[in-house]
Amino acid sequence: MTRTPDHAQDVAEILIPEPVLQAKVAELGARLSVDYAGQPVTLVSVLKGSLPFMADLMRAMTIPLTIDLMEVSSYGGAVTETSGLVRILKDLSKTIEGKDVLIVEDIIDTGLTLNYLVRYLRGKSPASLRICTLLDKPARRLVEIDIDYRGFTIPDRFVVGYGLDYGEFYRNLPYIGVLKPEVYGAA
Amino acid sequence: MTDGPRFAHASEAELARILDFYEVRWEYEPRTFPILWNTDGQVVESFSPDFYLPELDLYLELTTLRQSLVRKKNRKLRRLRESYPMLHVKLFYARDFRALLLKYGRLDAAPWLIGTDGQVGPDRPIEPSLDPVPVALAHPAA
Repeated sequence: MTRTPDHAQDVAEILIPEPVLQAKVAELGARLSVDYAGQPVTLVSVLKGSLPFMADLMRAMTIPLTIDLMEVSSYGGAVTETSGLVRILKDLSKTIEGKDVLIVEDIIDTGLTLNYLVRYLRGKSPASLRICTLLDKPARRLVEIDIDYRGFTIPDRFVVGYGLDYGEFYRNLPYIGVLKPEVYGAA
Repeated sequence: MTDGPRFAHASEAELARILDFYEVRWEYEPRTFPILWNTDGQVVESFSPDFYLPELDLYLELTTLRQSLVRKKNRKLRRLRESYPMLHVKLFYARDFRALLLKYGRLDAAPWLIGTDGQVGPDRPIEPSLDPVPVALAHPAA
């Protein structure tokens, strides 16, 4: 991205306003607190997009929990990668063996990264592994994945805000907005 | 796996690279399904989906031609689904492929990966790897 982003100009519409977003996060937090009552859960967030959701979700949960963070490389064309495979840029800091683990995602669209991540984490022998995503964009799904907790099912639009970026910008928007196509050159 | 098949279209090679990256096993056009028979029972039309993902038991057909030109493929896919209702098939249109390129910051590669420009012929061999493109990650976690 070469131009300077302009939040007010670049967002075509607000898809999910901040109060609606926060109400849903509170609802998910309450549900998770019931479902994981009596069993400390480890929330695993995938950097960077899931960070705001993770921060709000964990505070909406009223049960004992631990958190951990992971970061994985994203596909960017064969020759821009040192190898043609996903790389774990940041691994878990503690073992999850025998623990109840909840993957906290910002958005699931193709399911490719999550499919990789689920296989990777299952290999570490957690007691249970579930998935919680704020946004689900099923129109783009390549790999079907069972989602245990879902905030919103969204239409096939390019969304930013609340952690979601375009060219690393727009993550700090407090709502989910639809980016104007001309911003990413698809107009 | 990427060195094996000769892809008919640059978009197929790119999708194969994406699947490789995320360690999703694939096979290229592994099966041909008869979809139309004449009154003598002879096969008059068949369909070979581009990819099969064995771990997901899913066939993928990638069509990056303009939307107005995919009617024939839609019809074939409909026949395929009618003849083999247990088959899991997904059709990936040009718009889906563009969205995939956008997601991975590769939208500038779209002109030579989508549509007739991406077709491979004797005078236009497929590139083993594309020129480096600055990566603007969109939704890396999804």
